Amino acid sequence: MTRLSETPGRVGTAVGLSVERVDARDKLAGKAEFTGDLHPPFMLYGAVLRSPYAHALIEHLDVRGAQDIDGVVAVLTGDDLSDIDPYYGHALRDRPVVAIGKVRFVGEPVAVVAAVTQAIADAALAAIEVSYEPLEVAASVDAALAPGAPLIHEGAVRPGLAHGLGTLPEREGNICYSYGFSRGDTASAFDTAAVVVEGEYRFPAVYQYSMETHTTIAHHRGDDIVVWSSCQHPFLVRQEISELFGLALDRVEVIVPYLGGGFGSKSYTKMEPLTVAMSRKAGRPVRILNRVDESMVTTRRHNMKCRMRTAAGADGELVAREVEMWLDTGAYADNGPRVTATAGDAAPGPYRWRAMDVKAHCVYTTTSPSGSYRAFGSTHVQWIGESQVDEIARRLGLDRLEVRRANLLGRGEEVRPGAKGVDADLVGDIEKVAAAIDWGAPRGPNRGVGVSIGLLAAGAHPVSMATVRLGPDGGVTVLVGTTELGQGARTVMGQIAAEVLGLESSRVRVIGTDTAYTPYDRSTGASRSTTVAGKAVEEAALDVLDALLETAADVLEVDREQLTIGGGAVAGGGRTMSYEQLVQKRFGLAGGELIGHGRVQPRGGSGGFADGPVFWEICVAGAEVEVDTETGVVTVLRTSSVADVGRAINPQLIERQDEGGALQGIGNAMFEEMRFNDDGLLLNDTLLDYRIPSFEDVPASMACTIVENGDGPGPFGAKGCGEGVLAGLPAAIVNALADAGVAMTELPLTPERVWNQIQKQRTVEPKERT
Amino acid sequence: MKLPRFEIHRPTSFADASRLLVELGDDAVAVNGGTELLLTMKLGLAVYDHLVDLKRVPELRVLARSGDRLAIGAGMTHREVETSPLVRESFPALAAMLADVANVRVRSVGTLGGNLCFADPHSDPATFLAATDAVVVTGGGGGARRVPVGQFAVGPYETVLESGELLAEIEVPLPGPGTGVSHVRMKTHERPTVTVASRVELSAGVVVAARVAVGSVCSVPVVPDTVSDLIGAAREDWDARVAACAAATADAVDPVEDADGSTAYKRALVEVFVRRGLHRALASAASSGAAGRSTR
Repeated sequence: MTRLSETPGRVGTAVGLSVERVDARDKLAGKAEFTGDLHPPFMLYGAVLRSPYAHALIEHLDVRGAQDIDGVVAVLTGDDLSDIDPYYGHALRDRPVVAIGKVRFVGEPVAVVAAVTQAIADAALAAIEVSYEPLEVAASVDAALAPGAPLIHEGAVRPGLAHGLGTLPEREGNICYSYGFSRGDTASAFDTAAVVVEGEYRFPAVYQYSMETHTTIAHHRGDDIVVWSSCQHPFLVRQEISELFGLALDRVEVIVPYLGGGFGSKSYTKMEPLTVAMSRKAGRPVRILNRVDESMVTTRRHNMKCRMRTAAGADGELVAREVEMWLDTGAYADNGPRVTATAGDAAPGPYRWRAMDVKAHCVYTTTSPSGSYRAFGSTHVQWIGESQVDEIARRLGLDRLEVRRANLLGRGEEVRPGAKGVDADLVGDIEKVAAAIDWGAPRGPNRGVGVSIGLLAAGAHPVSMATVRLGPDGGVTVLVGTTELGQGARTVMGQIAAEVLGLESSRVRVIGTDTAYTPYDRSTGASRSTTVAGKAVEEAALDVLDALLETAADVLEVDREQLTIGGGAVAGGGRTMSYEQLVQKRFGLAGGELIGHGRVQPRGGSGGFADGPVFWEICVAGAEVEVDTETGVVTVLRTSSVADVGRAINPQLIERQDEGGALQGIGNAMFEEMRFNDDGLLLNDTLLDYRIPSFEDVPASMACTIVENGDGPGPFGAKGCGEGVLAGLPAAIVNALADAGVAMTELPLTPERVWNQIQKQRTVEPKERT
Repeated sequence: MKLPRFEIHRPTSFADASRLLVELGDDAVAVNGGTELLLTMKLGLAVYDHLVDLKRVPELRVLARSGDRLAIGAGMTHREVETSPLVRESFPALAAMLADVANVRVRSVGTLGGNLCFADPHSDPATFLAATDAVVVTGGGGGARRVPVGQFAVGPYETVLESGELLAEIEVPLPGPGTGVSHVRMKTHERPTVTVASRVELSAGVVVAARVAVGSVCSVPVVPDTVSDLIGAAREDWDARVAACAAATADAVDPVEDADGSTAYKRALVEVFVRRGLHRALASAASSGAAGRSTR
């Protein structure tokens, strides 16, 4: 591996090293502060009254009983929002801050109580009188698209502040957004194909479970608003709060302490509008801290129905694919349109098609809203497309890995019209995951192996700013809007700045976001932070370095080209001066600091950010499974993944990211499923009934290979990671199970579902043979 | 998710505990480790104004062998029983089954008596003890009773206990020579989908006693009378007889359909696990010789 010491002026002090996480000790010792640990003076506790109906008109709402309780300060309802435009949503502005006249899912906030203790607030909910007139429910995509289905949203489509979806068409029934693209003549490709595989598939609703539930404290002080929140995208939250409550952006301050996980569940705006509205009414700071069952209905992953067919030639050439899918976004769009488009982009898979046709629909239903979850879109469809590639290979008697080798896109080849070409070595990546599970080795009965590969459009919108400050004692502070949600962002940002300045990373401090002081960063998601925000940090540090060298050239009286840095000092002309000395020389006495600015933007500036996506994250994994054919129990024996990261800033953090993503992939593939009944009621809203992966589910072996081809647009050739395996692994597991003899078209692979498929195959297969 | 207010009483004798429960009536409930009850109360599924804490009742804290039986006080934690040298020596399969209950934190406070009294249909201990002919001894209220574990639960979360009556002790017959005990289960969520305990006794290679209990599948753990055909089976007949008994058991049980599976799937699982469990118990009995060793 090439180290940065090969680059002039850089000494390899931080990048490429698995330095200890800067937050590890505080978190282990319980000293790290999360939003729920904060107590601004006079803070009140909020409790949310939630709808028991999936779809109903609010006939009558009387909160006087609650208001009269000792310790209750204020009660919020939709009537309190008549002086503002109370609808929000970054994609579509379709969601009221609190229900106004109608509820659209079980759990929708109908009223909020703010009281001096949590117990009083919780108890006061029972004193609120509310009656509903139930409406017809549409708790699934099929129900919402059926003729005569109840209309969940009325009125015109209103684009949100950050939709990025081009021109939005009129709404058709309950379809809230559609996306698609087409290339070549699919009809003739299918007519002339040697083999066609087709099917209908289902992917479940999944909860993003993070240890910390959504937690927000808001203080509306009349002329300004302060929000402390467990949010991933503080600057987008600021924008929506500013718009909703009619205050200038600079009068809204969003402060983000540590997050106890996010995985997309805390992206965009969640509980912030409700908390700000409650504080506005109460005139005091208010905290709303979700219980797990409340977070489960705050956001979730889209469940999906998908029809796909794939055509191939007799030699295994993949020629055409047709896909239509319907993603259940629940009662409000949230990030559904983007998830839908990303699923559409991922649907063809990374192959050289002659023809393709993709249609993806985002559908409103009367269930809880769906949004982002790690590797969204790709996780939804990769297992479907990749299982069809496997089935083609089986029918043609070809090796499944060989079919992929022959059809995978090469570097620079077009993925879809208008998008960046392939920016990675796909064949190299899939060969690595296959080798790690001993592809081609003999297996025992009821065992199988599978691999899968896909592309995930990563980086979101590439706008990030950063500031790096070198203080008079030689210490460095980085201000960057990336949210530390457990992924290690603060550690990595510190390493990048340290590397540029030739320091040990322990000399660099990265602080949490406060939108009043921290430069703008679009968001923390889509694997973008190291690549985009990291690039801004690199540039800001280079800016500081520039000022340092300018000062050093002046003080040491030598040309800049003769200067070298290392160990927190600049040397030249036979003399060495520490950064501390240089800052003091420049400003006199002990004051002053050098401040550098970095900026990443879609066009202009440095870095390859002109074409979307910022980069393609490679979703590649392998798995070996064993199935107990009598019970349907599937055991994941081992997994493999490749983190194709361009350059590893911190190898250990990358491996941990891949392992975490792999475990979530096992959860998504094997057992995680939010079960809604026909009335739209979530049946498993506790962690007893909704199982998340635990250490019991860790396979005996998980191999992560880091690939460093230096081909990323980020600092030092880096690109993001941590999501790909979550899309890649369910597909590899499904393929491994099919290899073991059970071909599945519905996730998760619960024992009963697998057992049912085994019974079906037993009754069907003998007939096929005759 | 906070516990509602309640008053806690801490009697220091069995008689006081029983008297308190009679006095306080329906507003009171006995509690020991609280691992199930307090969770239920947090979730708002049960409301009691009074909790009678049995942790200080010395009569419930026994663990002794008397002849061919173990006497386990209802207040002994899973962990205490599981790690007891006496239990590990005399009934290793019991220790092994308890070591698989929940997690170590739950086992360290939850008690065997509490588990039986809570009467969760998914209880591994209740299923295991029903198969191994254990008996519960009660006292207080109307007097003392001896009830086979297989008849103790009468419905989900419901037992034969009457007002003021307390579970005092669990009597577990120790496996003698030629006896094999097994416990097999399948668990995909917090609680098992199916749990089967089997006990067989061999004499000169021929089955002389056989008993299975099936838990988690029906509304209470059941001891179906479907394995008596195994009696008299010599080794060469085991495969066929076990298969027939497993099929008969699957037909006999009355599964509850829920998130873990349909009736048909659960019947299929019962057949598989009774078959596997009986084979395991037979293998264990065959290898136990005179020592009465058992595996799970």
